[in-house]
Amino acid sequence: MDNIDLFAMRERFNSQQIMLCFNGPISRSLIEEIGNALRNYLAADHAHPSAAMDVFAVYIEMTQNISHYTRSKGWNEQEAGATVVVSRNEENRYVVSAGNLIESGDGDSLVAAIGQLAQLDKAGLKAAYKEQLRRPRDAERASGAGLGLIDIARKSSAPLQASLQPAADGRSFFSLRAVI
Amino acid sequence: MNDFSIPSSQSTPEVRSDWAAGQLFMAGDSYPENSFDMFQQVFEWIEGYLSEGGKPLSLELRLLYLNTSSVKAMMDVFDLLEAAHQDGAQVQVNWYYDPQNERVAELAEEFKEDCSFTFNIISHN
Repeated sequence: MDNIDLFAMRERFNSQQIMLCFNGPISRSLIEEIGNALRNYLAADHAHPSAAMDVFAVYIEMTQNISHYTRSKGWNEQEAGATVVVSRNEENRYVVSAGNLIESGDGDSLVAAIGQLAQLDKAGLKAAYKEQLRRPRDAERASGAGLGLIDIARKSSAPLQASLQPAADGRSFFSLRAVI
Repeated sequence: MNDFSIPSSQSTPEVRSDWAAGQLFMAGDSYPENSFDMFQQVFEWIEGYLSEGGKPLSLELRLLYLNTSSVKAMMDVFDLLEAAHQDGAQVQVNWYYDPQNERVAELAEEFKEDCSFTFNIISHN
C-alpha cells in the first residue's frame, strides 16, 4: 500500500481553497459536530452572518438528505458514507459539495428534479418551496429530498450542479454542488 | 395543564411555556434531523391552552436558523394559531431578530405572509 502523502494532500487542499472536507460514514452527531466546526471556520474567516448562515444551512440540508436517504434504504454504515467539501471558488464565493452512493434509478430522478429547479428564477423557487411546504408529509418523494433541495437552490447564487458516476451493484455516486 | 420547559441543545432551541401569562417562548437554532418529538410538545401545549378558550396567547420567538424539517413544523404551529384566530381567539407572534443577520427577518417574513393574525417582526440589538 502506498504511503499517504499528507504534504501533497495539503498542497492540493490549499490550492483548491478547501476549508473543510470529510469522507466516511456519517451519523447525526457527526453532522452536528462538523457543522459546529464549519461555523467556527466561517466566523474565523469573517464571513458575513447571512453568508455564514446560508453555507451552514446548505451543509445541513445536504448532509441530512444523505442521512435520510441511506437510513430509508437500510444501508450499513460503510454504504451510508458521505463525501463533503466546503471550499471557495475563483470568485471567493463559498461552495458546498456533497456526494453519496445512491440507487441509479433514484439518481436519475434526482438529477432531473435538479435540472427542473435550475430553470426557475428566485420567484419561481419561492413558489415551489411554498408548494412543497404545504404538501402532506407522506406524499413526499421516496428520495425525501424535495424541500431541502429547493431550500439549497434558493440559498445558492447560481443553479445547482449535479452529476452521477456509475458505481457497482446498480448504484451511482451522486454529487451535488452549490455556490453560495 | 402543566407548563413545560426544554433546555436548548446544539441543534434544538430552548422552549418554555407560561400558562398563567399566556406565553410560549422559543429561542435559538432548530435543526434536528427529526424535529417531530420536540414540536409535538409545543403543539400539544398550544392546543391545550387554546381549548380552554377566551385567553390571549402570544408566541415570543428568538429563533435563529431553522432547517427545512423545523420550518415545516413551525408552519404547522402557525396554521394552528391561524385556525384559532379564525375562530375568534386572540393570538399573536412576536419574533425578535438581530439586524446583523437579515436571514432571520426574511424567514419570519415568509411565515408572516400566510398569517392574518398579528405577527410582529422586531429588530433588537
